[in-house]
Amino acid sequence: MKTVTIRILGAAALIASALSQGCASDPSRLNTFSTDWLDDSGRSIAEVQTRLRGARPSANTDLVVSVAGNDKIIGTPLGGGAQWTAKHALDVRPIIAGGVVVVSGGNEVAALDATSGKKLWARPTGGLPLVGAGDDGNLTALSLSRGAGSTLLIVGRDGSVKRQIETDKTLGDPEVVGGVVFVPWANQYVSAIDAASGDEIGRVTIRDKVSRALTIGGTLYFGELAFIRFDDKISQSSRGGASRVALPSRELPGTPRLLVPGTEKVPPAANARDRDRLFGRPSGEATPLAIDSGRFYASYYRLILGLEAQRGNLTWVHTHPHDFIGGEAVTGGLVLCDEEGKIVALDAQTGQVSMEKSVGEPIKSCVVQADTFQAPKAATPGPSLSQQITDAVTVREATLATAQRLLLRELATLEDESATKTLIDIASDPRSVPVLVADARAALATRKNGAGYMLAALGKHYDFLHDVLRSPPVGPIAAALAAMKDPKAPPLLAAQLLDPQITDDDVKQAAAALALIGTEKEMPQLKQFFAMYRGTAPSDEVAVAAGSVAEAMLRIDPKGSRPIVEAAAKDSMTVPVTRARLEALLAATPEKGGDKPAAGEKPSAGDKPATKTKK
Amino acid sequence: MIFRLVKTMRATTSLHTCRRVALALLLSWAGATSAAAQPAKPPAFKPAPKVDVSPAVQKLKSGDEGQIRAGLDDLRIAGAAAAAAAPAVADVLARGLTEPLALQAIETLGDLESSDGSAILAQYASHRTVTVRRAAIKALTRTKGAAAASALRKALGDADAQVRGNAASGLGALKAKDAVPDLFVALDHKVNEAAASIGQLCNAEQCEQLAGKLGKLPFDVVMSGLELMLFRPSSEVSEDAKIKVLGRLRELGTGEAHRFLKDVERRLVKEASPRIRQAVEQAVKATAGGSQ
Repeated sequence: MKTVTIRILGAAALIASALSQGCASDPSRLNTFSTDWLDDSGRSIAEVQTRLRGARPSANTDLVVSVAGNDKIIGTPLGGGAQWTAKHALDVRPIIAGGVVVVSGGNEVAALDATSGKKLWARPTGGLPLVGAGDDGNLTALSLSRGAGSTLLIVGRDGSVKRQIETDKTLGDPEVVGGVVFVPWANQYVSAIDAASGDEIGRVTIRDKVSRALTIGGTLYFGELAFIRFDDKISQSSRGGASRVALPSRELPGTPRLLVPGTEKVPPAANARDRDRLFGRPSGEATPLAIDSGRFYASYYRLILGLEAQRGNLTWVHTHPHDFIGGEAVTGGLVLCDEEGKIVALDAQTGQVSMEKSVGEPIKSCVVQADTFQAPKAATPGPSLSQQITDAVTVREATLATAQRLLLRELATLEDESATKTLIDIASDPRSVPVLVADARAALATRKNGAGYMLAALGKHYDFLHDVLRSPPVGPIAAALAAMKDPKAPPLLAAQLLDPQITDDDVKQAAAALALIGTEKEMPQLKQFFAMYRGTAPSDEVAVAAGSVAEAMLRIDPKGSRPIVEAAAKDSMTVPVTRARLEALLAATPEKGGDKPAAGEKPSAGDKPATKTKK
Repeated sequence: MIFRLVKTMRATTSLHTCRRVALALLLSWAGATSAAAQPAKPPAFKPAPKVDVSPAVQKLKSGDEGQIRAGLDDLRIAGAAAAAAAPAVADVLARGLTEPLALQAIETLGDLESSDGSAILAQYASHRTVTVRRAAIKALTRTKGAAAASALRKALGDADAQVRGNAASGLGALKAKDAVPDLFVALDHKVNEAAASIGQLCNAEQCEQLAGKLGKLPFDVVMSGLELMLFRPSSEVSEDAKIKVLGRLRELGTGEAHRFLKDVERRLVKEASPRIRQAVEQAVKATAGGSQ
């Protein structure tokens, strides 16, 4: 089946080529982007690798390219050099490719010098959107989308078209090294095209989804979900033997992607997908291939999570004042730009800002290329992880809730006592997002430390006059302190039990805790609660709480409490839920001889709370 | 017949009427004090004749829901004359009742107007059901006593605006002077009822503080307190303090200040102090062209 036409050879050559390709009988022979090729066990790509052994990819310019307004392109060097500005219509985001910045819009594609922004050349595109570009200093390869197919354009530094290859296959983002164009396609192949002849001189089958070829730090990689290094093991790729590194799978906010698919048209202005990214940089020529600095990074609006590359454990959290809309992992860290035009470098180990630059104006999007640039080390180690999470989860923005929920779960795993405090603060703050409050409460109930913070929280009550407008999370604290059997908890819990502003669920949990750890000292409050709510419980939770309080009373003072509980169990004024609980309690704790009321003594319908009215 | 008489008496001692009567008394009192330099004694109400409460108390002790309801009904009709039954009502409430019955017992304690009911009402003033809390706060205003004042102060911080408002009003009625600082905090938190109570209780400095709220809080709110303060006897609030407040109103110079001052001028009794009268008249003139 004919898959390729090479217009530049002319009609006759095209027919000859078509015939020769269409009639090809040797399935191991490479016909450009053909699908009848049989895997050659790495033979052809090994030959390409041998051919390019001495040819290193040209050094890429360390640059941040931002889009401002509709057609303003700003180049900000990461190292030395002056910032430049250029104008060009944009229908896709600029692509930094080696030493050029490729821009597309207004029915043309153009290359700007990456160091000055000067236009090097422009070619008409007929409106085809640019999806990828690569450059080796002499040639620029462009991938243009044609709906069901693609056009691969190879352009010289002078703007002359060296090759124009059209195919019905969807091509990914190409890269050029030493005059060879590496083109990912069909999500599994990377074809090596000799720019001089237009022939496919090698092909490799990649076992991961692949749509991008890219050079990072002087090394060529293929990938989308992982990085496959183009080295002497590339010939073993189809058998899973290539040098490969991927990021560990773990729960992250949103659905971040490591690399944007090379077949995707990226809009000039950043969108939600740009606020939800993964960043990681392969370690270069080191063997085995790893992730630089042992860190990868996940962005979520204005939060950045620093994650350990082996297992994905959270190591730091950076909270930024504005949303990040682009960035790139660099050696020793991460370079990011925000919507206000601020560029920051974060230290891989600490997440602290180690460098800052400014575009000078708000931007709509940005792309970063860092070849030799290295993120400086931060001057200070920064606060503890617990504090960093606290800073992140206490930002009151609904858009961050997904990340904050995840961070709360991370916080709950930390032994640090201050984590308990943060959970209490979130659960007690009326401004907290409701889902976070629920998560914080759930996490609090299982805490095994931070009792001091819990006791301090229990000492606080709702107070309209002093602007304490939410009660502490009494229920989960009660559960945690009861599990810890903290002797300081019962009086505070008893005081909360009688506070009308705690939730019904908190009442239920506080009562359950007092059933376990209440003491003689809390008996007056327990009796008051029991008498007050056995007949007036406004909900099932409070009715159950009345039962738990009865349980506490029976445990603490069986002799004095049994007549009260028995009378209440028989009294029609006791709410049914409480009554059922009382009956079960009495059945479970049979009356002892000494506990019986004296003969002729009629048990009252509940005991009296401590009042001064009785005379 | 007896019950009708008692009912009438109850009506005259209801909170609303109480406040009207108190205001009238204060008006005449202020004048008399200024004129004769000694406070006039308010006419004492004739104490209610005591009634036999033992049948009602027996019903309360029966433990039967219907009997308790009937006993409470009997006591409510008797009102303050049945104050001796307050401990029994407190007792039954302390043992635990259904919500409707608890509400009835709370209201009954309010009607009995005995401080013996205050301690248990203070407990129910922090009940989880807001209608119960509201009822308890209202009743505490009538039972009075230390426990009532303490519970009302606590209730100023309640989540329910009506509870807060009633508590603030109640503190004024209870003459809980110690609560004035709390009432100021409440006023700053939009518990408008606190202004009137402050007006009833403030010393010279506190009255000045209340006047300082003019222009910061709604005029009507502040004036609800200053009005009461202006008509308090000079034994409670000095003429100097009143003249200071009148000066504040004069400085305010608004139409509503003018209308208020005109109303004060009209209500001043013949015997009012010449200094006060003069200050009011001058303030009325000075604010005559006041903005609206």
